[in-house]
Amino acid sequence: MKKRILSSILAMTMVVASITACGSAAEQAPAEAPAAEAPAAEAPAAEPAAEPAADTAASDEPVNLKWALWDVSSTVYYQPLIDAYTAEHPNVSIEMVDLGSTDYSTVLGTQLSGSGSDFDVVTIKDVPGYVSLVNKGVLEPLNDRIAADGVDLSLYNGVTDQVTIDGNLYELPFRSDIWVLFYNKDIFDAAGVDYPTNDMTWEEYDKLARSVTDTTPGAEIYGSHYHTWRSTIQLDGILDGKHTIVDGDYEFTKPYYEMVLGQQKDGVCMDYATLKTQGLHYSAAFAQGNVATMNMGSWFIATLIQKIKDGEYTDCTNWGIVKYPHAEGVEPGSTLSTITALAVPTSAPNKDAAWDFVKFVSGAEGAEVMASTGNIPAMTNDKIVDLIASMDGFPTDEASKEALVTSHTYLEMPANDKSSEIETVLNEQHDLIMNEETSVDDAIAAMNEGVQAILAQ
Amino acid sequence: MAAELTAMEKNMKRRARRRNLVAYSFIAPNFIGFAVFTLGPIVLALLMSFAEWDGSNAMKFVGLQNFVNIFKDDRFIASLKNTIVYSIFTVPITLAMALGLAILLNQKIKGRDFFRTVAFFPYVASLVAVAAVWNMLFTPAKGGIVNQILMNVFHAAPLKWAASSSTVMLTIIMFSVWKNMGYYMVIYLAGLQGISEDLYEAAALDGASSMQKFIHITIPQLRPTTFFVTIMLTINCFKVYDIVYMLAGGSNGVVNKSAMVLVYYIYEEAFRNWKLGQASASALVLFAIVLVVTLIQFRGEKNYAND
Repeated sequence: MKKRILSSILAMTMVVASITACGSAAEQAPAEAPAAEAPAAEAPAAEPAAEPAADTAASDEPVNLKWALWDVSSTVYYQPLIDAYTAEHPNVSIEMVDLGSTDYSTVLGTQLSGSGSDFDVVTIKDVPGYVSLVNKGVLEPLNDRIAADGVDLSLYNGVTDQVTIDGNLYELPFRSDIWVLFYNKDIFDAAGVDYPTNDMTWEEYDKLARSVTDTTPGAEIYGSHYHTWRSTIQLDGILDGKHTIVDGDYEFTKPYYEMVLGQQKDGVCMDYATLKTQGLHYSAAFAQGNVATMNMGSWFIATLIQKIKDGEYTDCTNWGIVKYPHAEGVEPGSTLSTITALAVPTSAPNKDAAWDFVKFVSGAEGAEVMASTGNIPAMTNDKIVDLIASMDGFPTDEASKEALVTSHTYLEMPANDKSSEIETVLNEQHDLIMNEETSVDDAIAAMNEGVQAILAQ
Repeated sequence: MAAELTAMEKNMKRRARRRNLVAYSFIAPNFIGFAVFTLGPIVLALLMSFAEWDGSNAMKFVGLQNFVNIFKDDRFIASLKNTIVYSIFTVPITLAMALGLAILLNQKIKGRDFFRTVAFFPYVASLVAVAAVWNMLFTPAKGGIVNQILMNVFHAAPLKWAASSSTVMLTIIMFSVWKNMGYYMVIYLAGLQGISEDLYEAAALDGASSMQKFIHITIPQLRPTTFFVTIMLTINCFKVYDIVYMLAGGSNGVVNKSAMVLVYYIYEEAFRNWKLGQASASALVLFAIVLVVTLIQFRGEKNYAND
């Protein structure tokens, strides 16, 4: 009897231990999904850290700032930004702490939740990550500092308004990617069709994509390509400025889903189910040379230039970009954007020095550094556009340069404290629509119901 | 006399205490690790399941609200259902396949070691790599290898496999059986080799057919092994997460209701939505299910052993 009890206890422990082991496995599992949407700037390794230049102008006490970020080795702009700053402030040294790209927001959230973190500056990867940090109360509100130092927020094209929460701004964006339409000029030349333009309605775009499509088995040409993200289709609908993705009413997504489903049915674009299970990356799809147009974020520009230079991409060397297509009656140049921003945690040991660095990186000087590395800064002006367009490898046609100028930009996800839950509902229905498992109407009804329930909580 | 006795008793007690201390010190390294990394989190999860907590703001006690919430959440219900369906199919199929393979590869056949390796290989191969290969074979496109075989050999309609809510669990179950049967085969092989040859010889002398030998000797003799395998399999099935993420998540990582499992739900609630209370409550539900299933299995084993 005693033995039996003992063995039962042992078995119980085993069960408990297994369950806990599963718990920790889940904790470690990377959140690859949100990370996939983040701009992945691929570029050569950063240069070795430069010593702060000796400068007599600043003679403050030495300060060491700890900066949380991701992908140090493959991101071109961190070191130049640091170099530019430390050249002016030789008493400051900046230490980069790489938290990894795949689950950056989760790791940062966990680190800042504890009391032991000593980051002075943290990079904010996306809006849902930003909102969850603000809700946790771990970010310093910047309003007073912005007012005191006279930072002109109008230079950010209204983007800062979209991340203001309850009247407070907790981050300053330094990088902003806009969505454009990439196209392969060779395909249009071969088909004898005119290139896409900076002023196309969605109907014109659909017609254009269909006109270059070839469904011959083995020699397919796809007129369009939509990566498996929800944003490539669903968000086209918010560009008329009348809707947002956290409205709770998604009727406006219908025409876009119908357009893409029609294209999918006719072989104009690759099938979602196949793309999803095969895990084909959008860059690989475009590089195959049989994709005529693809809507994607401007982070792909740097990748394209680099990979073509390296000789890795040989079938899409003749590319160009144009502005996103627009709805009837909407000004061209309306597009989606994602921002990368800097914030100061409430636990930062050197808040004043940290704020000064944030101000620098997000400001005009930081913007020039960003542009010179081929990345679009959050703050734009004509000089910045010229800098990017003059980069070696950027398309030389006037339309491609013009495409970088926007009229209105809308964040992929506005600041909303329910954003990650809303995203779950929208992602699920997007998946069902694109797999042709439910009708668009049923899916929209499910989105409305699901999101309204979340909003009502 | 009495004083002497108490002195002796004291001495004995002291010695016993020292002996215990030595014993505890041997257990300590393991137990400290267990307490910090296993026991602590379990207790914390228990507390959190009755609280509302986002990981940094103050914890708020909410009673059973978390449990009410999750049972109202259709994603939780779907994940519960999927986990159970997955376990109900995966456990017996894996068990049968592993036993069949073990018996087959316990015979003296040519290239036995090679085939054993072949059967064991999926278990040691990296999940990410084999899942990618699997997704290529079972691609929803008409040109996929498995779909080609379906169409040309069986003249059946092509399936969308992991991309369709009606076949995604089937795909996951098949993958899981294929991936894990090699491991349980090895356990069964060990069990088979532990059965005395004498039993078979005696049965053969009595004129037993090989079917009779299998039913009356092999199966009963393997009972402890089967018991162990069933428990391990069941627990592992309830813990499934990675296979689902790899097969159904695809390039955008969207796992919808048709493939959602409990552990994935827990992960999503805890680290995407920062609802640690709700996540802990679901973890407790998972724990309770596994506990009940395991207790039933123990009870079954006991009754069987007493026959």
